[in-house]
Amino acid sequence: MKTMKMLVVAMLLMSGVQVANAQTSEEIINKHIAAIGGKDSWNKLKTLKLEGTIKAQGAEIKLTIYQVDKKAKRENIALMGMTGYSIVTNTEGWNFMPFQGQTKPEPITADELKIEQNDLYLQDEFITYQEMGKKLEFLGKDDFDGTECFKFKMTDKNAQETTYFIDANTYFTLKQTNKIKVNGQEMENSMVFADYKSQPEGFFYPMSISSGFGEMQVTKIEINPTLEDSLFQLPKEGK
Amino acid sequence: MKKIVIMAMMVAANQLSAQTSVNAAMFGTMEARQLGPGTMSGRITAIEGVISDQGKTMYIGTAGGGVWKSTNAGASFKPMFDKYCQSIGAIGINQKNPAIVYAGTGESNMRNSVSYGNGIYKTTDGGDNWKKIGLDSSEHISKIVIDAENPDIIYVSVPGPLWSNSKNRGLYKSINGGDTWEKIFFIDDKTGCADIVMDPSNSSILFASMWQFRRTPFSFDSGGKGSGLYKSTDAGKTWREIKNGLPTKPFGRIALALAPSDPKQMIAIVESTTTGLYISSDAGENWKSQSATVNVTARPFYFSTIAIDPKDPKRVYRPAFNFAYSSDGGYSFTDASYDAAWVHSDMHALWINPSNTNIMYVGTDGGLYVSLDRGINWQFNQGLPVGQFYHVAYDMQEPYNVYGGLQDNGSWMAPSASPGGIGNGNWDRVGGGDGFWTIPDADGKTVYSEYQGGNMYRSEIKTMKSEFIQPQKTSKEETTKLRWNWNTPLLTGAKNPKNLYVGCQYLYKSIDQGRNWKRISPDLTTNDKNKQKQEDSGGLSEDNTSAENHCTIFTIAESSLDENMIWAGTDDGNLQYTLDAGNTWTNVSANVAKAGIAAQSWVSSIQPSQYDKNTVYATFENHMYGDFQTYLGKSTDLGKTWKRITSIEFTGFAHKIKEDFENKNLLFLGTEMGLFATLDGGENWFRMKNNIPEYAMVRDIQIHPVTHDLIIASHGRGIFILDDIRPISSLSKELLEKDVYLFPTPDMTLYNGKFGWGGPEVSGGWGTGNPASNPTINYYLKQRLSSGKVTVEIYDEQNKLVQSIPGTVRKGINKVGWNLRSVPPRVAAGSTKMDGAGFTAPMVLPGKYSVKLIVKDKEYMGSVNCVHDKTNKDLSEADRKLVYEKAMQLQSLYGTLTNTIDSINLYQTGLKVDTVAFSKNKNAKTFYDELQKVKTELMATKKKSIFADEERIREKVSSLYGNFCGMEAKPNSTQLEAIEVLQKDYKAQEDAFKKVVVKNLPKNPQLKLPKGF
Repeated sequence: MKTMKMLVVAMLLMSGVQVANAQTSEEIINKHIAAIGGKDSWNKLKTLKLEGTIKAQGAEIKLTIYQVDKKAKRENIALMGMTGYSIVTNTEGWNFMPFQGQTKPEPITADELKIEQNDLYLQDEFITYQEMGKKLEFLGKDDFDGTECFKFKMTDKNAQETTYFIDANTYFTLKQTNKIKVNGQEMENSMVFADYKSQPEGFFYPMSISSGFGEMQVTKIEINPTLEDSLFQLPKEGK
Repeated sequence: MKKIVIMAMMVAANQLSAQTSVNAAMFGTMEARQLGPGTMSGRITAIEGVISDQGKTMYIGTAGGGVWKSTNAGASFKPMFDKYCQSIGAIGINQKNPAIVYAGTGESNMRNSVSYGNGIYKTTDGGDNWKKIGLDSSEHISKIVIDAENPDIIYVSVPGPLWSNSKNRGLYKSINGGDTWEKIFFIDDKTGCADIVMDPSNSSILFASMWQFRRTPFSFDSGGKGSGLYKSTDAGKTWREIKNGLPTKPFGRIALALAPSDPKQMIAIVESTTTGLYISSDAGENWKSQSATVNVTARPFYFSTIAIDPKDPKRVYRPAFNFAYSSDGGYSFTDASYDAAWVHSDMHALWINPSNTNIMYVGTDGGLYVSLDRGINWQFNQGLPVGQFYHVAYDMQEPYNVYGGLQDNGSWMAPSASPGGIGNGNWDRVGGGDGFWTIPDADGKTVYSEYQGGNMYRSEIKTMKSEFIQPQKTSKEETTKLRWNWNTPLLTGAKNPKNLYVGCQYLYKSIDQGRNWKRISPDLTTNDKNKQKQEDSGGLSEDNTSAENHCTIFTIAESSLDENMIWAGTDDGNLQYTLDAGNTWTNVSANVAKAGIAAQSWVSSIQPSQYDKNTVYATFENHMYGDFQTYLGKSTDLGKTWKRITSIEFTGFAHKIKEDFENKNLLFLGTEMGLFATLDGGENWFRMKNNIPEYAMVRDIQIHPVTHDLIIASHGRGIFILDDIRPISSLSKELLEKDVYLFPTPDMTLYNGKFGWGGPEVSGGWGTGNPASNPTINYYLKQRLSSGKVTVEIYDEQNKLVQSIPGTVRKGINKVGWNLRSVPPRVAAGSTKMDGAGFTAPMVLPGKYSVKLIVKDKEYMGSVNCVHDKTNKDLSEADRKLVYEKAMQLQSLYGTLTNTIDSINLYQTGLKVDTVAFSKNKNAKTFYDELQKVKTELMATKKKSIFADEERIREKVSSLYGNFCGMEAKPNSTQLEAIEVLQKDYKAQEDAFKKVVVKNLPKNPQLKLPKGF
């Protein structure tokens, strides 16, 4: 009797497994794109302004991110009465982090620039990877934070690898890990996404983005605002 | 009818699957601390480097800690194999595409304690993801050789099972990168392939050494008619034995090397009755005897490595008992120097960097060493925490210490927490040899330790004054000798810690720290004479180091409910108990066997239940008879009948069963391949992950009675501590069905914590942090939250919000830490310096605080008591109040100061709205400059460099405020007065500011200020 029951359970489980296996990576990607609002709604996204906070020990760090699709990105960070920023464009990248003692903006290295430029696309990577010339590999199922996920790896033209964990239930991206090589040494950084919210244009955007140094909660999101070119240029005294 | 039954069952099954089953994911945020250490590491079995990047990228295979990767030539390593079998025999890199790496599991250093593997794995992305690609039943893999020109061609030498016959031994070949395998050379089911060498100038020429070997629990046999040296010139299709000039057969294990720069030059160490080193200068056709130093001939079954420099055919290396090098092709050898450091003996792997042959790495029983001078001097790598513990114990100090013995690395102790975290420097050696049981005495000053074969000592921890305490045979024992297991049980009582027990075939007890012993049992083993011929063990080379001692007691357990109730288990299948402290014994082994547990199994652990004297759990293991099943038994009638507990989750033979002392249904099981837990008394099991490798060799498990920490001894990854497992103990079925559950939060002590910040070890090497000084706020989520937030809010007794903390959204248990403080003050803009006050707030006062958990739009209420730190003699409760009031006074001063600076900033911004007009307006400029003068007195505005201090009033207030916020003593005599001084200083500037405004405002009618200013 017990064996029978076990058998039935096993059959049910197995049929579940087969369904999952039968899903091709293409189907998963299509479901993912559908889950985050579809290609068309993402394609409406041309510029973006995000405001967010990182809370640490009761204190708040304020972040403002400005981004023009495929062209430029600026991040402002304000803490303890000071403001720093980073700028990345198609051609150059700068950091000004007075918290670390920088007294003027400093250029980032060519290696870092290549990595940062991967982030200039506003669209979800699963929409743009072919356009960006990235190679995609499906790595099957894996667990992230106790949630069953589909795991994908993308490799860009510079052989930088990014691994994505897509929730097998909601098809949202839960985590992204970038493996970068600097002078032959491998380094990893991860971002975890949560609190997906539907935007008026129809796509879903994570309102919570966590990395090694804390969680940024998005407090305000502006879709397609007008962003002045000057935002992505260095103040004159900086150059 | 039948149809209905099946339908009903399907419904039941559906409900069953709809129920929340417990799995490791639920405890994912509870991450074990990996204590290591790296100070004594563990056996390294394989080392390979990537040639195209000059050896910066390296892979290390270990005996029990998986595969580690470095991308900086060994400066740091990262584990890459935590989801798979941890015993690694060989690594192979596709040098044309070095992202492709193969790992053969199951090392081939065939000592008694060797583990086993479950096949060969492949990665195509440098170790991030692995796939098993076959040879599942190989159990042991000794070498992987890849054709450099066509790297899809791979040869794998498989010595095969150590404990049983097998058809799966021999030499395997793949011609498609491991997709399929063909066994291309097989002698018989007792003989495997120990080594394979390829001629780099012609990949069709191969040499294979075949080895016949076998272990039983009580003997080892290396050598036999199957052993031999073979050559193929057609890529393994046909094989021809080569023996011209080699000694008379039978052979044992043969170690083999070929000079890459002159492939006709070969060297072999041939185990025979006259083991020695042989050289050939005609590609193995003819051999002549060369050298037979002790280091060359030592333990051929264990030291099977010989290597020739990639560029210099005369330079030969023999990593064995010691490291020896020869400059004359193996005619004479010199031992490595110990000038730089002592080099751990017992070596198994060597990688010489072909780009710079001065650089080489050797793998020993004690870890990895690097040489920069062709093997003459060696430096130890302190960053590989792959030590092989047998057992772990704890004491009752605060913080408690852990104690344990390691394979070939003595006995050690370390604190479970330490200022700055636990690093290599925190570990102290308390015993030598191979270490096993290491037990602290209840007196807090004494430790018992032993080395192999029951050689046991009582040592004073402070001075390491040590006395040998092993019981000796007296005229009362009718036996030729006392039989002590390799890993002799030595422990104190669970009920009465003053009872010290040790066992050979008899059980001994001492109540005075081993000064006097009383034998309290007859021979508890089967005393089978056929299993007691250890002196003849070894095969062609005699080898008996107590590792084969048999018919011994292996496990002892005093009941925590009754010190007269003692259980003892032997290595030959007997399980016995006494209820009268040893006067009479009952053997229940026949009852165990009836439950389907192999009769001659080792009794690996016994857990008399802490809740019921009639209940007992025990683990049994039979791997030395080739049976790797997980045997776990339970009896509820004092051993009369047993139930075998099984689970589809189990992998590996069983080492340890541990019952939680708070929740009797919570049990932990440690096996050769993983840590498992059950929350329903053994019905359903799940594999524990929690920052513990999924297939870790878990040898021992303890739960600390005060801290509730789960302490784990692994045989290959050192000690793990999973801090405070009460969230696991408190999980019930009902609770698991809730969508959200806020656990009760234990009291929090108001202090800055005990052990500093727990950062990385300053001196490098392995290190881990300290446990949290205070409990976290824990909650359970049945499902991951994909939209919406989790927030934890803390309120004081007046229902005022103290702090709002973002929470995590993962499935299972989530943890949120509260720093016991309110919110720091706002910092004014315009300074050239960061101001620390923006991250500082006073610690709250003792009292009951409400905890509001907000999940999306639902709220769950709890509370936490914050209590005064009574252990702090420097701070009374009255002092605490004073400190708090003063900190708040400074916070208020800081706030006023910030407002003034803000006002100045607003005036200045207002004056400069029109920069052209401003430059022409003298009054505006005067106003601006006078404001600036006040501002430069109020805060730092000039020095930008972080190396140049500039202290103005704000910086001084901030600094004093920080002192008060962190204060855990009565303020000193100057600190209180300093507040008044700063208040006066500030007041003077505030007055100056007001004067500037009164004077200049009427002269600047153009000035526009924000509304309400």
